[in-house]
Amino acid sequence: MKKLIPILFIALIVAGLMILLASCQQSGGDVSPQTGVGGSMARFAITGNTLYIVSKQSLEVYDITNGGDPAKTVKKDLAVGIETIFPYQDHLFIGATSGMYIFDNKTPSNPVQISQYSHVLSCDPVVARGKYAYVTLRSGVACRPNGGQSSLDVVDLSNLQSLKMVDTQRMVSPYGLGVSGNMLFVCEGDNGLKIMDLSNPAKPVFKTQFKDVPAYDVIALDSSVVLTGNHGLFQYRFDNNDNMELLSKIPVQ
Amino acid sequence: MSSPKLIYMKSLLLLSVVFFALACTPEYSDDPAGKPFFDKTGYRPIYQSESEINNVLVGLPTALSDPGKIYLREPYLFINEKGRGIHIFDNADPRNPRNISFISIPANFDIAVKDDWLYADNASDLLVYDISDPKQPKLKKRIEDAIPLVNYPPYTNVYFECVDARKGIVMGWEKVDMPTRPGCYR
Repeated sequence: MKKLIPILFIALIVAGLMILLASCQQSGGDVSPQTGVGGSMARFAITGNTLYIVSKQSLEVYDITNGGDPAKTVKKDLAVGIETIFPYQDHLFIGATSGMYIFDNKTPSNPVQISQYSHVLSCDPVVARGKYAYVTLRSGVACRPNGGQSSLDVVDLSNLQSLKMVDTQRMVSPYGLGVSGNMLFVCEGDNGLKIMDLSNPAKPVFKTQFKDVPAYDVIALDSSVVLTGNHGLFQYRFDNNDNMELLSKIPVQ
Repeated sequence: MSSPKLIYMKSLLLLSVVFFALACTPEYSDDPAGKPFFDKTGYRPIYQSESEINNVLVGLPTALSDPGKIYLREPYLFINEKGRGIHIFDNADPRNPRNISFISIPANFDIAVKDDWLYADNASDLLVYDISDPKQPKLKKRIEDAIPLVNYPPYTNVYFECVDARKGIVMGWEKVDMPTRPGCYR
């Protein structure tokens, strides 16, 4: 009997390790490494085995279970002026010149519109995290011809049927944006990159700005950002102490 | 025979003829209500033949010139060259991204990648590339007319030359001087 106990003990440890390893394999989260991630200005987005494409006035959905042979599943006609798409959890956030559309995509091959947040005519990408969506609205000839201010809006998503703007602040020429940890990165075009603090996610607070790095779009990762603009592609590492270290630059030539 | 009644009726007839004439005249008076202000400029489509637009190639890496959207599928970083194609970089070491190849795709602006499949737009077509060897992406499939394109420039309050499909596919718009209003506006 005494000889069995060590064997049993070892068996239990091995079993425990195997369960641990098995569950680690499954912890892919929303974005698996093999799917990758795009910037907020994207018209193409992939979640799981579905490719979503937004044209100027429609959402086109493809099943890419067989990656080399996309199969069209559905098309949703939308009002003219669709600009961007951002998938988040079980939803698709679609940015348009007339506002933002939210689709439920629990059934990925057939997204269903559940809500719309309207605003004055502008061009805007949107990202979402937790209870809030962050939207930049850019004025200018192409987007908001009759003037009006550019801004960064925060939309409360607690009740998707009744969206509320909970914060708005002026921006200069905002384009893409990205969220990571307590940082919101806002690309201000030729005016550079703005970094906002999201300790209170409903109210972004300006922290710092890199004025000499033109910024059009950004991909925010756990501890780094990939930034693109008309001077080229810049990668920075950041930490919790607001330090941004330039990792590399791929210049425009 | 010119009784007052007849004069009245003739005038009425004349008046209605005049009204009809006015109603049928195209509104080329200055800035009629509802139309944009015409400042003698407008947008003209830039056409390319279908064969030119669909001419996609894979080649040696080139430098960034007009970078657009980005996509990261580790370890690879994909950077759109606006309207021209996709740069592929090996970003395994973000301190030292290596330029691997360039896929030349006219009228390309978007990218998405899953596993070893890269999806890209080529005007209204959706292209699928096999990138298991990112130095040599291979075009696997072309889905025509996957992305409905619009027949107008991405601006409002502008005049533009109406698109004539017989001239080819619109791959962009240019602002030009126009002595008279073109047929379309938005």
